Amino acid sequence: MNYLPKKLQFAFAQHSPVLALAASTFWASVLKQHPVLGTLSPNVRRYRSMPTHGIGRYKYLLPKVVHKKKKERMKMKPIKAGTEVEYGDLNVKVFGYDMTLVEHYSQYVHNLCNRLKIQVAESYALPTKSTEIIVMQEKSTKMYADAMLKTHMRVIQLSGLSVTICPVFIEVLLQNQPEGVELSVKEHTEIDFLRRFKARPELEELKSKIS
Amino acid sequence: MAAPTCKMVARPLRKFLTCVSGTCLQNNAYRRLSLATPGSNVVKSSEPGVHAVSPWKLHGAVCLQRLPVITKDLSPLEEEFNKLMHQMELERSLLSEHELRLLEDAERMSRKQEADYDSDEEDVADQDILTAQDMEDAWEQKRRQFQPAPRLNEPSDMDRSSADRCLGDSLLLLVKQRVGSEELWLLPHLQWEAGETLRQTAERALCSLPGADFKATFLGNTPCGVYKYKFPKAIRTESSVGAKIFFFKALLSSSNPSPTQREAFAWVKKSELQNYLKPEYLNQVDRFFISI
Repeated sequence: MNYLPKKLQFAFAQHSPVLALAASTFWASVLKQHPVLGTLSPNVRRYRSMPTHGIGRYKYLLPKVVHKKKKERMKMKPIKAGTEVEYGDLNVKVFGYDMTLVEHYSQYVHNLCNRLKIQVAESYALPTKSTEIIVMQEKSTKMYADAMLKTHMRVIQLSGLSVTICPVFIEVLLQNQPEGVELSVKEHTEIDFLRRFKARPELEELKSKIS
Repeated sequence: MAAPTCKMVARPLRKFLTCVSGTCLQNNAYRRLSLATPGSNVVKSSEPGVHAVSPWKLHGAVCLQRLPVITKDLSPLEEEFNKLMHQMELERSLLSEHELRLLEDAERMSRKQEADYDSDEEDVADQDILTAQDMEDAWEQKRRQFQPAPRLNEPSDMDRSSADRCLGDSLLLLVKQRVGSEELWLLPHLQWEAGETLRQTAERALCSLPGADFKATFLGNTPCGVYKYKFPKAIRTESSVGAKIFFFKALLSSSNPSPTQREAFAWVKKSELQNYLKPEYLNQVDRFFISI
């Protein structure tokens, strides 16, 4: 029984400098974090008469949130030019009459690019074009509307397609192309970028009036 | 001789244009494929001086593929699943405008048949001279007039040398060539000459095929496969140990095979390749010939 406290004392004597160091660091951290105790220096007074004033403060600990402004104008990203080892910005356009096929195929292309680690810069849809087919009746001059066809278009923009993977990629695309869906791979130009925006007739009118 | 077969630095590839059509509305069974690589200047091997002489002879070969024109037939399991999904979709879907009109017209018909029918009660605006049923009949008539092309063409399938066989599969062109002392079925290939890229060798191999002119689009400057073999001991010397054949992929855009020289060509599917090629050659070709 008596041995136990002796052992403890011995242990304490051994580790006391360590303990003292630990205690000092502990208090330093407490002083830093504790809002009240840590700011006891005369420059910062956080509490009024109540010592627990500001006890629930936490928002100063959260990271700063920048509120994003309303939609800014889409600026054109600089178009990358191709080097000898890589292509620049390429547009893979998938279009056809059947929307399910077109959308599924464009999803397939996107997933394939992810899997092959090809970087996809953007993936967007162009507005649908409606084509009305007007048939002329036989042996008469009357025309009647036969059908309305809608062409859906989806574009996937790739950047930095490596020359080594390009033939394989294109071949896989062609092998998996469904019927009724057309595929076109072109370089991205400024005209392609501007095609995404709607025409603004009033602005153009005013511009022409000025000039 | 060191061949300028660097995979990366072959040509400056500034613009790249491909347009492929998936529909086969036109009569040509091949997809329109246009590939423009401007800057296709010949890259001379700009290495004057001593070339290390390699004991391997270099050849460039072309792997000419005709892509499938129509989709493959579904397997029985796929057929069943397709039917099931179709039925599920039908049961879950809502009625379309046309179907609603059909129902309304049928209901109106039945009301007209009744004894105490008062036509003034009807909304005159709703009635049309041309009912939905009439329109359906007209459409059905038009559909019967349309004759789709046959999917399966038995006699054409058997003819190995026609490029129109087996529309659902991708086909590979094989030619019978004399190698050493034997005649073998191979992909068309030619010996590489100094000063040209291997891709040009492959293009030459395609053009120099006797009897048929194939319009093909090469997919890129990188070879898709390689096969090397050693000459038999009798021919082997210090400077020529064997040969390496580099394969380049090309897609067929149109062809006009002349009726002569038909036995020299064969368009084969992946499953038929083993009947034609030697085992080791087949192993290498299998690796890059994609067929779903």
